[in-house]
Amino acid sequence: MLLWENKKQKLLKILKIGINPFKKFVSTGEIKENLGLVSSRTDFLNDLEDIINKNENFILPIIGEIGVGKTHLFWALKDQLKDNYNTIYLSLENIYKRFYYNLYSEFIESIGVENLRIITNNLCFKWNGIDKKYGFFPISNLQKARNNGIERYGPSIDDKRALNDVINVITSHRLDPYNRIEAENYLLGELLNVRELSALNVEKDLRDKNNAFVLLKILIENSKSGTLIFIDNFEKIISLLKPNDETEVVFDSSWLYGSTENPDSRTAKKILKKILKLQKINSLRIIITLNSLNSLEEIKKLVSNIDHNLLLTFKDPVFLSKFQEGDIYSFYKDNMKEFLQHINYQDLTDEFANSYHPLTKEALKYIYQKADGNPREVIKLLIRIFNELIYHDATANDIDCRYKELC
Amino acid sequence: MNGSQDYVLYDALNNIKRNGEFNGSIIIKCKNENIILSESVVIDDNNLILPEGLLIGLDNINNSKKEAISESSHYTLRLDENLIEYCLLVPKELIEKFDKERFSDAFPYTINLLHSACLFLNDNNFSINHLDFFKGEILKNPVALINRGICLADRVVIDDTGDPIFYDTLIIGRDSHDHISVSYEAFITVDDVLIKYIIILGIESLKGHI
Repeated sequence: MLLWENKKQKLLKILKIGINPFKKFVSTGEIKENLGLVSSRTDFLNDLEDIINKNENFILPIIGEIGVGKTHLFWALKDQLKDNYNTIYLSLENIYKRFYYNLYSEFIESIGVENLRIITNNLCFKWNGIDKKYGFFPISNLQKARNNGIERYGPSIDDKRALNDVINVITSHRLDPYNRIEAENYLLGELLNVRELSALNVEKDLRDKNNAFVLLKILIENSKSGTLIFIDNFEKIISLLKPNDETEVVFDSSWLYGSTENPDSRTAKKILKKILKLQKINSLRIIITLNSLNSLEEIKKLVSNIDHNLLLTFKDPVFLSKFQEGDIYSFYKDNMKEFLQHINYQDLTDEFANSYHPLTKEALKYIYQKADGNPREVIKLLIRIFNELIYHDATANDIDCRYKELC
Repeated sequence: MNGSQDYVLYDALNNIKRNGEFNGSIIIKCKNENIILSESVVIDDNNLILPEGLLIGLDNINNSKKEAISESSHYTLRLDENLIEYCLLVPKELIEKFDKERFSDAFPYTINLLHSACLFLNDNNFSINHLDFFKGEILKNPVALINRGICLADRVVIDDTGDPIFYDTLIIGRDSHDHISVSYEAFITVDDVLIKYIIILGIESLKGHI
């Protein structure tokens, strides 16, 4: 019978298997962050929610230095808004090409196929596409629905060919039992062959930017939940516009693009224009993240050159600040608790609820000061210290003596 | 059951008649046990006019055989001929419920008949009983005449005991005071001894039905 167990020793043994509780110091839009925000950021998150709820069609810049937790904020925001908004993460690194198609794919992934069916169903009802035969049996009236859909969106969409395509697909999805599967595949972003497109009476699939934009507009405007696009690392636009002198030039692009522009800067301008065009989608909210206020000013200059009026959609920036000292303690405890639960050692979470074992409060305070409150730097230092424990056979006492040296 | 009687447009038994044009989901029970469904009806002093109605019932082929009919036509029913028992406009909220719970045709395990057919007929002279044959199957668009009422459902399934279970059903009947009432039931089991007939509407008569 086990009368007493050295839990501290047990925790160290678990760690020495080779699992570091702190291993990820960069958040991404693909891998979900389970850890919430630290307490000093709760008000910040609530303020953001307030701005999102009270406004429509805006671009809200969030400014924070590198590693302060802007991407992590996306996951907290997504979690906070999950009941009322589809929150979509976009990284300009990833959607360099086919911007609207990629954005559409993210949107569809976020809403899911069931909500997609509800939206197309409601649209066909709105467009009077369903008549009642003998007062009881619903029958489809494709042409009537198509005419009403085109009449509704015609004034706000310039590209009539794309509008026709999109209305045909939406109405087929709900009202045409023979082409329902093809229509659903189209709406889910799958690429169709010519035969399938012709069955749907459609010219182009969603690789065509106008089709993708029009479909995005109609679905977002008719979605029951609001839509928020979180565009991370918006500075990418600026970095693309500036020529990189260190890159070895193999091909002289001036032959194609003239001497004043390089291909990257043209792409950057195109992306910016596409993002700004999203403002034509009613009730769409956009958040962009930037590292500094200077970058925001540069972005605003670029926007002003395209259309000065669009500057009105920019909200005053909000600033994501560094950790406060109290945050590192709660962050450390929450992270350790999550780690122990993840490896199925919940019994140890209660044991260390009031201690910072194998570190000490002094060590955490020193780490906070050394990292200057930057969360990413804090995590990097914690990784280094825990690696010392795991791989160099150090004890908790050793760490207590040597944490300054290790940082 | 719905308490208000606003939906009753004509009731021969209780001397109710509301003149005018009515649009929506109209159901008429004839005294000869036929049922007519229609999207609109015009009632004047002498006639009940249906621009496009679907007559559902049974027709004598010869002395030993009856077959189901579902005929779409313009109908003018003279009130002095005393053919109609009642006519009512089913309330919108019930129709919304009815529509919401419908199975889509895309659902793979339902049987749609091409032409209307009689599934069950309780008649001393000409009985029809295909309930056993369809045991466990899901049949779309049944219309049943039950004792004092009508049962219009989205689908019917025959259970192990051979009784039909109607799913997503509108039930029209008379209460103990002979007032007409209409209600919605998600599903209802009816003992086959109470049923006069069940007709499965064929999709030919409901062309374009989704």
